[in-house]
Amino acid sequence: MSALLIAKNVSKHFGGLKAVDGVDMTIQEGDIFGIIGPNGAGKTTFFNICSGVYKPTHGEITFDDHSLVGQKPEQIARLGMARTFQNIRLFKYMSVLDNIFIGFQTKTRTELTDAILHTATYKDDERLIREEGLKVLDSLGLLPFKDTKAGNLSYGMQRKVEIARALALGPKLLLLDEPAAGMNQQEKQELMRFVIDLNKKGYTIALIEHDMRFVMNSCNRILVLNFGQKICEGTPEEVREDKGVNEAYFGKGLLVGRKAVAV
Amino acid sequence: MDYAISIFVNGIVQGSIYALMALGYSVIVGITGLVTFTHGEVIMMGAFASFYVFELFGNNILIGAVGSFIVCGILGIIIYKVCYERFLAAPRHIALICTIGASMMIKNLAQIVFGPNQKPMMGIVKNQLVKIGPVQLSVLQLVILAIVLILALGLSLFFSKTKYGVAMRAVSQDKTAASLMGLNVNANVLLGNIIGCGLAGVAGMLISVYYQAFQATMGGPLGMKAFSASVLGGLTDSRFAALGGLFLGIIENFGIAVSSASFRDIFAFIFLILILILKPQGFSKKGGIKL
Amino acid sequence: MTQKLKAWFMGLPKALRILIAALLIVLVLLVPRFLTSSYIMGIVCRILLYCTLAGSLNVINGYTGQFSIGHAGFFAVGCYTTAVLSSHYGWNFWFTLPIAGILTAIIGLLVALPTFRMTGIYLSIVTLGFSEIIRLVALNWTGLTGGPLGIKGIPAPQFLGMNVRRAGDYYYIFLLFAVLFLLITARVLKSRIGRAWMSIREDQQAAQSLGVELVKYKAMNFAYGAFWAGLAGAIYAPYINYVDSNTFTLDEGFNILSMAIIGGMGTLGGPVLGSFVVNILNELLRPVSAYRLVVYGLLIVVMMWIRPQGLIGASDSMLANNRTGLDLLERLGFKKRKTA
Repeated sequence: MSALLIAKNVSKHFGGLKAVDGVDMTIQEGDIFGIIGPNGAGKTTFFNICSGVYKPTHGEITFDDHSLVGQKPEQIARLGMARTFQNIRLFKYMSVLDNIFIGFQTKTRTELTDAILHTATYKDDERLIREEGLKVLDSLGLLPFKDTKAGNLSYGMQRKVEIARALALGPKLLLLDEPAAGMNQQEKQELMRFVIDLNKKGYTIALIEHDMRFVMNSCNRILVLNFGQKICEGTPEEVREDKGVNEAYFGKGLLVGRKAVAV
Repeated sequence: MDYAISIFVNGIVQGSIYALMALGYSVIVGITGLVTFTHGEVIMMGAFASFYVFELFGNNILIGAVGSFIVCGILGIIIYKVCYERFLAAPRHIALICTIGASMMIKNLAQIVFGPNQKPMMGIVKNQLVKIGPVQLSVLQLVILAIVLILALGLSLFFSKTKYGVAMRAVSQDKTAASLMGLNVNANVLLGNIIGCGLAGVAGMLISVYYQAFQATMGGPLGMKAFSASVLGGLTDSRFAALGGLFLGIIENFGIAVSSASFRDIFAFIFLILILILKPQGFSKKGGIKL
Repeated sequence: MTQKLKAWFMGLPKALRILIAALLIVLVLLVPRFLTSSYIMGIVCRILLYCTLAGSLNVINGYTGQFSIGHAGFFAVGCYTTAVLSSHYGWNFWFTLPIAGILTAIIGLLVALPTFRMTGIYLSIVTLGFSEIIRLVALNWTGLTGGPLGIKGIPAPQFLGMNVRRAGDYYYIFLLFAVLFLLITARVLKSRIGRAWMSIREDQQAAQSLGVELVKYKAMNFAYGAFWAGLAGAIYAPYINYVDSNTFTLDEGFNILSMAIIGGMGTLGGPVLGSFVVNILNELLRPVSAYRLVVYGLLIVVMMWIRPQGLIGASDSMLANNRTGLDLLERLGFKKRKTA
């Protein structure tokens, strides 16, 4: 398995605030990579650096052998990194299908003349987005909702649509920012199965999550952040045992058996 | 050389008026979190207000200043009610378009009521010259500089030392946090708008007294200059907005000295484009009013 | 409502649809025969001209959510280009048109380019300033534009050997370009490009994360709008036959903006309706013409209060939202987002 996304000593400072501080991380192709940590640990900031929303203050990031530093989000998307957002950034006023159509931006090539003259390129593109778009929706069970205004769907559905839209990119790496937020247990189970399924189909996935069960049961590698710094990176078992991780979550105290006990 | 100095002096005086306009503008943008198109028209109304104040109460520039501040402050209340109150939490372009509509109404109503032609402003300050070192200034120029300086200092003290000013700065930095702290966001936005418009009114008086002329259509270019000057401070940093005003005044005056008076407004535009190319975010990093 | 109309129309049998369409086309082509008053034809011509002009503004403001307000400047560039080329240099009217359009697009782009990576308000101010500068340049560059005296005696366009001068004949030129504008723009909007534009309007950051190149599409959109505004100016020049800077004031820019805002943004029909409404109101308000812009200003404010997308604007877009959504500030690019 080759390394897909490598972060070396990445930092992001906002004035005096070190939101991310010297983080190293490697995501291998085929991973389901979890990023966890208490609130404010810098997880979303780190995601934002990877996807180009922020420029890192220090450090290097390579994705598929391309350096990401200084690249704009749209360029990084073109390289094959898709993402969803913590607070669901769907095009709320557009239909579900229209949302998906925009996901195919990088897979289509129509330019101004093609659009005006309805060239073969235009026709091919329109056919592609329709066929593939309906396929993606179907694979997520969203086909009945294709004409619904995205903002009218339930929260869990919106999440799925956002993921479907990201999948339209045909990404090499899918970043999911708290995908299970706001979901009930059943929805979370479904999502977990879906994520594992996607991974089996060949998608490399990185996700930020707070739900421990979700992370432990789906991820094969986990990065733990706290106060912007890396506490631990490893398999779920390694992370579970790690002293630093336990301290971060439960505070310094006695470790009795496998449970930390506050002193 | 004397000629250059006199252009420079003229530039500073004019620039100080621009600085006052920009101060008002940056306060409004800072506190409402919205950009406005009404500023030029408020400046214009300040000029008209001062004219009538002079007519009614005599040629006293201080009374004129108070009068134009009050009238434009009231105008600020109206603008707040029409454009801001309802839309503080709405997408920003809504309030923006409202201010465009409001500016259209103000400008054209003024043209209807007052006529579109240029009007002479009476001489308010004695036509006397004063020599300070190598520089020759008129009393009027000194008065203008003094008024702007006092207002700027007053504003600075207001924001740093008074409870109301500090509250306004809090609201300008983070409305949600401020309201959680118990501040009445709407009231503060209203107050900020009143202050900003009041300052614009005084600026309107100053510029019409300086050039001894005012016109219902004078607002457009002036509003744009207030904006251009404020850009230097990222629109919300009042210190740099004032500085921008000074620079603008100097650049304009040297510019028209080497070309022609009709190109005056073009220099403001060039100033704006230059800043946008060289330092587009201005010199302010954090949001909120800074003074 | 327009959706229902469309749905009803498409539901009719094909033969009936063709018949209705053919009837409408014949009616439209015969308008000058029915409306023989040159005064009325003048109004009709104005309405058609502004369909293109307000429409081109709507492409910018209504589809990428950018906010350009100095459209009079583009109108001016196109108008003067044709005026100068055909009256000073004897060019054939039809050849001046592409030059006018392309020149306006290039100039517009140069002016707007520095603002694309910044929050939206800068574009607004820059276009406003640009509009005024063009007017001042036109007023002062006597060598090129005739200064305050303007350019007179612009040769009438030739079509099939005839001089096209009267409103009744010029109607067809205005009609042609309005229709061309609508058809071509419809095609562009229903393509990958239109989708990219709308994604920028709805949520800029989300659009970026899906690979939509912001600067490229904003630039393309702006240039496209400027092009058609320039073209509108170009076809207007021989019609009024006397081009001077007074036509291109800030007020004219607000006139155009009013049409887009009142009629509706984000749909093709919005500016068309806006052009009808505003131009007819212009005539009705002639006895109190000083109040025209007061009325439009009021209408604009009223629109924002009750129906921000305009009369028949896009209800299925963020343009229709005048209530909540501070996060929409970020979608517009009016505020940068800080997350920790």
